[in-house]
Amino acid sequence: MGRDAAPTPPAVQQDLPFVEPMPPVEGSSSVPLPRTPEKLWFCVWLPHLPLESAGGDSNGVPTAIVEEQHGIHRVLLADTQARAAGVMPGQAANAALALLPTLQLEERSQLREQQALEGLAGWLERFSSFISIAGHDVLLLEIAGSLRLFGGLQELREKISKGLRGLGFTGALAIAPTPLAATWMACAGRRACIRDEANLAATLRKLPLACTGWPANLCEALASMGVTTVGACLRLPREGFTRRFGAEYLLQLDRALGHLPDPRNSWRAPERFCADYEMTEEQTDRELLLNICRELLLSHEQFLLARQLGTQRVRFSFFHLKGAATELRLGCARAERSAGRWCELLGIRFEQLTLPEPVIAVRLRSGMAQPLQAESAVLGFDGKPGAQERRFSITQLAERLIARIGDQSVLAASMVAEHRPDYAWRTQSLLADWSGTTLDEPAKYVQRPLWMLPEPALLPADSGYPVHQGCRLRLIDGPERLETGWWDEDGISRDYYTAAGTDGRRLWVFRNRNRASSWYLHGYFG
Amino acid sequence: MSSSLDKILSNPRVWRGRDQAGQQAGLASGYPELDRHLPGGGWPRESLTEILTEHYGIGELRLLMPALARLSTETSPQDFSEPGWIAWIAPPFQPYPPALQQYGIDLSRMLIVRPREASEVLWSAEQALSSGTCAAVLLWPSILDDQSSRRLQLAAEKGRSWAIAFRPLAARRQPSAAALRLELHPEGTQHSGERGVRVHILKSRGGRPTVLNSLI
Repeated sequence: MGRDAAPTPPAVQQDLPFVEPMPPVEGSSSVPLPRTPEKLWFCVWLPHLPLESAGGDSNGVPTAIVEEQHGIHRVLLADTQARAAGVMPGQAANAALALLPTLQLEERSQLREQQALEGLAGWLERFSSFISIAGHDVLLLEIAGSLRLFGGLQELREKISKGLRGLGFTGALAIAPTPLAATWMACAGRRACIRDEANLAATLRKLPLACTGWPANLCEALASMGVTTVGACLRLPREGFTRRFGAEYLLQLDRALGHLPDPRNSWRAPERFCADYEMTEEQTDRELLLNICRELLLSHEQFLLARQLGTQRVRFSFFHLKGAATELRLGCARAERSAGRWCELLGIRFEQLTLPEPVIAVRLRSGMAQPLQAESAVLGFDGKPGAQERRFSITQLAERLIARIGDQSVLAASMVAEHRPDYAWRTQSLLADWSGTTLDEPAKYVQRPLWMLPEPALLPADSGYPVHQGCRLRLIDGPERLETGWWDEDGISRDYYTAAGTDGRRLWVFRNRNRASSWYLHGYFG
Repeated sequence: MSSSLDKILSNPRVWRGRDQAGQQAGLASGYPELDRHLPGGGWPRESLTEILTEHYGIGELRLLMPALARLSTETSPQDFSEPGWIAWIAPPFQPYPPALQQYGIDLSRMLIVRPREASEVLWSAEQALSSGTCAAVLLWPSILDDQSSRRLQLAAEKGRSWAIAFRPLAARRQPSAAALRLELHPEGTQHSGERGVRVHILKSRGGRPTVLNSLI
């Protein structure tokens, strides 16, 4: 997966190939290698992720995240209210509770943090096509290609920073030409913004070693030698450094400076949207539930917008404490992402939905995402009072109808080249791509009835003539012999006649030739 | 003077016989005799037409076919937009595509809706009419009271669409907001071999009730 590839290093390998030619580490005469295309990395470090993924400051209750260390629960992070009361990271949970009895303690959840991080990565996808999850609380964006679109570095930085705040996350942001340098600077709390690789080394040198995320014993060993900054580390002899601490850390230094390539794995959001809304207590208020659905649809729209995709189907699940979830499926004739359109369809269906029990959670799952088909708008010659105004297109009409009365009840018809009357046509759901129906040359030789019975109806017979509604029918046209379909199960051998009924109707009747010559009514001429 | 006269004449309560003010051109029915008796020279577009029959299948569809065929294939002369759709809502049998094609209807612009409940028939018809995409909406409601017919009439005006409701003969005594009400009776006996339909114009906004023999 590579999500946690850096900066936490894997086991040290001694036999790494030494990279030649290596520019001299000593001094500032490092010659940057020609790099194409130019890259720029934006790092978002989320120092308060454990707290913020659990709700953080927003819930109004003093909260602290605790983690078990050596059998004792210790405070990992505390929110503003808790800190004001003197709750400090590292305190035992009991001590924190003694300071602030109303303190709400939350166990740290790696899963929750991972979900929050992926949610943020999904949100950041709107700013860059390349997102990398570089640790349990670090996200990297490659932004060289995004600068023009978002109106420059400052604008982009402002947008991301504002957006993060809006989502309730505190992020330390840094920009550098290499991913590792950006990460280190963000973790060091430097609001650095370095575009040129030539300026990178000078800033990196000042960084404390703590920001590199190297193991504590390594940092201690280096500190005992008087090495506390990255710059001091770079001044050490390379061979000696490799021998004593392993090649991995030297490689990291080279990567941070851009002397070595540092490929990253691109993170891709799942293509299906799935979001839950959980409530603290069971709800029966339909208006509230509808609003929750709307909210979910809005985030669904954002999800699809970032990918330039749409979907044809969405499914709501309303979970109950007891019993199976109630499901509500919506379909669109075309891939659609607009929350407004989905809300409209939802409104029609939600009216009819019966919820057997109170609802505790709502889930929205979208169907397969598809590329959105752009629809060209009609060029209107306005100003003419007679100009026809279309309220909505046929697809929208079909969607509305389907939403209320079901997929199988709204059909389009088309012709099939086939002599058997029952097979000469078919209907298909309007959600299918029905635009492919073509107008074949109509058969002119014999008139077909406008009304067809769904199934041929058996007619009683009177001395060889069919009887309909108690009266013998008079055959006025025919026979037309249809004998075909021997190649499959439904072969027919019929003589079709037009018959006149007493009530003035023209009937389309046939006599089966292969069985006991029984008569059937198949249609009316309408 | 003329302006105050216009004011009086434009009042819908002033009946002015056949050449009513603001009468819009009708949709040619394909039956010249019927057109002569309909105000505007054809089917009233953008309003509700009711067709009352004893049974379905006596020729009520044949009566509409020429007009529907034109609607489904002709582009609008006003804005050159695509031809409209024809919606069939709750038909009693299956409208048979090969026959419709023989009458010149473009099947790719046909929509068949089969609601499960009676209330959904009217709802679907109203949606289809007011959408503005359907040139004609054919519906077979099991019940249609005065209020519902008024709603359909309004929806047809709003969506500039032609609504055609098929109803049993018993409905003739009920009031209706339809602009045109026709009664269809088969003519001739079973053995005469004739195939005529007598059309009785019960109500025609801006026209006169009349009986047309052997129309189709």
